[in-house]
Amino acid sequence: YLYKLEAPHFAEPQGFKPVFMVDKDRSGAISDTELQQALSNGTWTPFNPVTVRSIISMFDRDNKGGVNFNEFAGVWKYITDWQSIFRTYDRDNSGFIDKNELKQALTGFGYRLSDQFYNTLIEKFDRQRKGQVAFDDFIQCCIVLQRLTDVFRRYDTDQDGWIQVSYEQYLSMVFNIV
Amino acid sequence: MSYYGQGYPGPGGNTPQQHPSPGASYGGGSVRGPYGGPAPPGGTPYGGAPPGGQYTRGPAPGAPYGGYGPPGSSGQYGSGGGGAPGAPYGVGQAPGAPYGGYRQPYGGQYGQHAQGSNIPPGVNPEAYQWFQSVDTDHSGYINLKELKQALVNSNNSTFNDETCLMMINMFDKSKTGRIDIFGFSALWTFLQQWQGLFHQFDRDRSGSINSNEMHQAFSQMGYNLSPQFTQNLVGQYCARGMGNALQLDRFIQVCTQLQSMTQAFREKDTAMTGNIRMSYEDFLSSAITRLM
Repeated sequence: YLYKLEAPHFAEPQGFKPVFMVDKDRSGAISDTELQQALSNGTWTPFNPVTVRSIISMFDRDNKGGVNFNEFAGVWKYITDWQSIFRTYDRDNSGFIDKNELKQALTGFGYRLSDQFYNTLIEKFDRQRKGQVAFDDFIQCCIVLQRLTDVFRRYDTDQDGWIQVSYEQYLSMVFNIV
Repeated sequence: MSYYGQGYPGPGGNTPQQHPSPGASYGGGSVRGPYGGPAPPGGTPYGGAPPGGQYTRGPAPGAPYGGYGPPGSSGQYGSGGGGAPGAPYGVGQAPGAPYGGYRQPYGGQYGQHAQGSNIPPGVNPEAYQWFQSVDTDHSGYINLKELKQALVNSNNSTFNDETCLMMINMFDKSKTGRIDIFGFSALWTFLQQWQGLFHQFDRDRSGSINSNEMHQAFSQMGYNLSPQFTQNLVGQYCARGMGNALQLDRFIQVCTQLQSMTQAFREKDTAMTGNIRMSYEDFLSSAITRLM
């Protein structure tokens, strides 16, 4: 197996969450900005808005640009699940994981990736330029990897880790992910 | 039609004394002005045929930072104010507009040179003015929320988050998720250019780009894409209830992504066959390094 995916597909929401603390404008829906303000990546910098957008779009079923009360419960669970995973790899509780820890995490999910590729990942998802990846960026990294892997797998019908695609096929694969 | 609309009109604004009254200088007219002519703004892309063979010649306006644009177009941002299309200080930009309470009006009556000293070098003066109103918390930076409040589509919907984020990432040199005045000035030019193209391609003047118009736009921009592909793309990106058509925000998003992804493909398609063979990791890298 060149790639294999067991990245967490987290379960559906349950229970009530502090939604009214997040929905500051009392609109009944939680926007990107509201969610971003409610979240902490543990490093005193604003939560990555791209991650926020990815997560909201995942739970925003009718594409309204935010999440309602029920959907928010799913969002919250999703984030706390990632948090507990992140903590197991962030052993020194710094709020960041380094390349080795990232490698351990992704290998644990089933990815088989070269050392060079981890450099690419760190470079791309290290928004704070510390040579490490913060919690919010880690989530985004995992989301993107998972989406790209899913789409690659659809084209790699013989499962040999190689695909041959036309220009339009390539565009279809990556549009909407990047 | 103006994407400045929302940020400016007084009543809705946050600091009235800094906003001109509705219909004032930043109205549609000033934006539409420069694009009256048939030539695309900024002397861009159509004429030249950069390398690239079958899929694309010269993409539309590129971003200044970080490789989204073709080499040929990067120059247009370098020249600061002078590089902006159409020099919007032109005659009659704000016809009869009362500058009600607007502290730093531009244009004739107060003399544009008097205020020039406040504007950092290389920053377009009109972008500078716009920045002051968009930066509602006066932080000196524009964040996602502020940008979103400043941009509207022709059907009065706000810009979608993805496009705003994409633009912030493109013009945020510091990777802090917000744009300073220099990035903002470049963004301003970028938006003007895309808006010009948008109007040019919106042949039926519906305020949105449908599949047919998009297909024509792609081929004029030099992309060789099938009508079917274009239709799927538009269908995928159009907002809810929009029929099969793109508003300005998604038009910008689609075109910018297409530009970037085409570049990624082209790098792999060294033999220019229109087909590439790539490994899993190649694929991941090609996409991830171009994430916006």
